[in-house]
Amino acid sequence: MSPAALLTRLLHLIPVLLGVTVVVFLMMAATPGDPAEVMLAGQQATPAQVAALRHDMGLDRPPLERFGLFVGHAVRGQFGQSLFHRRPVAQVIAERLPATIELSLAALVFALVVAIPLGVLAAVKRGGWLDRAATFGTLLGVSLPGFWFGILLLIGFAVQWRLLPVSGEIDYDAQPPGVTGFLLVDSVLAGRLDSLLNTLAHLALPAITLGLPMAAILMRVTRSSMLDVLRQDYITFAEAKGLSRGRVLLVHALKNALLPTVTVAALETGALLGGNMVVETVFGWPGLGRLVVESIFVRNYPLVQAAVLLYAVTFVLLNFCADLLYTILNPRVRM
Amino acid sequence: MADPLLEVNDLRVGFATARGMVRAVDGVSLHVMPGESLGVVGESGSGKSVTFAAVMGLVKPPGRVEGGSIRFAGRELAALTPAQWRALRGRSIAMTLQDALTALNPALTVGTQIIEVLLAHAEDLPAGWRARRSAARACAIEALRLVGIPDPVGRLDEYPHQFSGGMRQRVMIAIALSCRPRLLIADEPTTALDVTVQAQVLDLIGDLRRELGMSLVLVTHDLGVVAEHCDRVAVMYAGQVVETGPTQAVIATPHHPYTQGLLRSIPEPGREIRPIEGQVPELLGLGAQCRFLPRCAVAQPLCELPVHMDVLPGGRALRCVRARGLA
Amino acid sequence: MSGIAVLGRIRLSYLVVAVFVAMAVLAPIIAPHDPADSDLFRRLQPPFWMAGGEAGFPLGCDALGRDILSRIIFGTRISILVGVVVVSAATVIGVLAGLAAGYLRGWVDVVVSWMTDVLLGFPYLIFAIGLMAMMGPGLLNMVFALAYKEWVVPCRVVRGETLAARETEYVEAARALGASRRFIMLREVLPNILAPVLAVATIRVAQVIILEASLSFLGLGVQPPTASWGSMIADGRGYILDAWWVSTFPGVAILLLVLAINLAGQVRRRDDHG
Repeated sequence: MSPAALLTRLLHLIPVLLGVTVVVFLMMAATPGDPAEVMLAGQQATPAQVAALRHDMGLDRPPLERFGLFVGHAVRGQFGQSLFHRRPVAQVIAERLPATIELSLAALVFALVVAIPLGVLAAVKRGGWLDRAATFGTLLGVSLPGFWFGILLLIGFAVQWRLLPVSGEIDYDAQPPGVTGFLLVDSVLAGRLDSLLNTLAHLALPAITLGLPMAAILMRVTRSSMLDVLRQDYITFAEAKGLSRGRVLLVHALKNALLPTVTVAALETGALLGGNMVVETVFGWPGLGRLVVESIFVRNYPLVQAAVLLYAVTFVLLNFCADLLYTILNPRVRM
Repeated sequence: MADPLLEVNDLRVGFATARGMVRAVDGVSLHVMPGESLGVVGESGSGKSVTFAAVMGLVKPPGRVEGGSIRFAGRELAALTPAQWRALRGRSIAMTLQDALTALNPALTVGTQIIEVLLAHAEDLPAGWRARRSAARACAIEALRLVGIPDPVGRLDEYPHQFSGGMRQRVMIAIALSCRPRLLIADEPTTALDVTVQAQVLDLIGDLRRELGMSLVLVTHDLGVVAEHCDRVAVMYAGQVVETGPTQAVIATPHHPYTQGLLRSIPEPGREIRPIEGQVPELLGLGAQCRFLPRCAVAQPLCELPVHMDVLPGGRALRCVRARGLA
Repeated sequence: MSGIAVLGRIRLSYLVVAVFVAMAVLAPIIAPHDPADSDLFRRLQPPFWMAGGEAGFPLGCDALGRDILSRIIFGTRISILVGVVVVSAATVIGVLAGLAAGYLRGWVDVVVSWMTDVLLGFPYLIFAIGLMAMMGPGLLNMVFALAYKEWVVPCRVVRGETLAARETEYVEAARALGASRRFIMLREVLPNILAPVLAVATIRVAQVIILEASLSFLGLGVQPPTASWGSMIADGRGYILDAWWVSTFPGVAILLLVLAINLAGQVRRRDDHG
């Protein structure tokens, strides 16, 4: 794509990011209760002390200035102190982020690994029992409340059959030395198979729960895109050449059919961000999502504000990249 | 007389549609001798493309071959297993499609699309993965050179969209001929091309045919093309063959009213265009009568009964009640 | 799929939706018990087919001894109410905004599109959670939060359709006859673009029901003692080891209703194409 086109798209991104930041700022500015009072709660502070803290926090300045300060600090990664942890918000978030990323990636991998072969098979054996089952599965996938399904999985696998653990990321005694913060990576780096297996066992149910709606959508896209491709002349011509069925499907068909799947996957990855709050809560996963939910209940607003901003900015950037990816990969545009 | 290379007898292909069964090919019989070129002429809906899809074993649901026999080099094709079909296609019988733009996979290089055919039918390639691939690559380059594509080595790694329309057609021909098949079925090879390129492509096919000693079936709606490039012609209408014979003879003295109509409707400078009156019938619910009856100027009461193919002298055949008068 | 099979599917899904609506409307009449009636002797009582269960409390009781079936029936009111109200409000706002943006273009379109893009920049739950953190939990706040994000969906659809409809002949004819812009928008364009809007609205009701359940599950939606399917599932979480039924049955209700709505919406669309 031409540099000019890329530039215009980037420029379009800025007002959106700005708008997002404004919204997040307004959300928190309009929160009832005075942050300074909350911070000093239980310390019998005098009104003068509260006022002093408010001045320090910049709460008595005009709104526009406060917004400017907010953006200025945000860009530098300063979101103030977490009221609950008594540590910088940015630090707390950074600690919990790897777990969420690991879960989201696992869900994505699960969705792709399940959806693509099923979609291809459903298209190839169109109208067969697999096709109908898969179509119904898709419907089920978008109709199922994720959190409930997660609980069902827990009841089944963790409680009844005692196959998988009930909660958490890893058992305490199986933890590898923390290098990257990503348990899977750290386990491999430390060469500890028990850590790896333990992590995978804990990861399985949450990843499946989180990835299921995405798998349903991707399966449907793969199936319809595959059906489209199989109707094309170049498939007939490939068969007329006497090529094996496997080659026709995997080399000729799939290469063309995967494009829509990949772009939809990229677009839907953002939705995983929304879903992981609920999944992390159900499975006791120590990630950012659960932290946000907990923070709301303890009125830890600086953290909620920072997290919401982070989620939103990531989401916008993800969608932007997905859009870009589609444009780059689309052969019609390339031509 | 030598045995025909391809012999189709009473072929019937049906399609299950929402409104009932449609017989796209209803009792088609024709043959192609070794080294000969047969032109198959008909409008859209005449069943000509479906006939040769059946010859390649490429009739897919909702279509179904319902009866008749197809023999290639004496072998009955109906009894083939999928593996045997795959060995046959591309190797002994090859096919080109109407539009090279849609027939070539846009996501694969031209080289890949030629080489894979060679590798699929690789009996005479050397053993060993590396030697095999380089031999196949050399064959591919040779195939591109054969069809007249300049700088074949460079163009091998390019994508179909990087070729012009005429060049793409040549690429498709190169792919089809890469394994030196005994029979090439060219489905509407010139329809998607403009006039100047059409002649080049047809001449190319003709030259290659003579060079390789190959049989050719040219499926087209253009009688003019057949007149110039085919030894024999078969005219199809509404799922049946209505007339066959040596091209020159059929064009000089067409017997079937439809063939006569086709010849009359070829545009000529100074003469007004005379299309055939009426329309091609709906294939659903055709009666037993002659299918051309509604449009025929010389119809007789006998035409209400089923009409069969009659053999006439001079290697001709005709599906018309008037045949007896001409014998 | 054969005609009869399709007919069977329509009837079943419409029937199920109708049953749920009836449950919601008739809740006080058909519920066997008061949903807030807590009887600690019946704490975590199993469903009637298990040992220790009673026919009078067919699906068992929760941790506070409240009848699960009754709570599910009353929970239907919340789910359907939230789904319908949120989507209706969102559709009205979205249609008006989309019409204005698509037809009037200019700065109206710029502003509406910008707002749409910004709102779309938030993953769904994040936005709702952010708003509710600010406003506090509760049913009304939840409806507001959901509607606030939801209006962009019909807005985008309507804007697209309006942009296309602008160029059609009937609009040009109306313009030539001197009709005012408002007239054209409301009387000419609107009726012709309603079909996709309604189709989308149906799917969205199903999605909003799940979202409401998620928010209530997290504790941000409906507050006790009101029964929402989502909060019921949350209540049962601590007891999945010994009393799986507390969390399971409310979820079944969600699944059935959402599945039925999605199926009904799907079949109707297929009919249109038939």
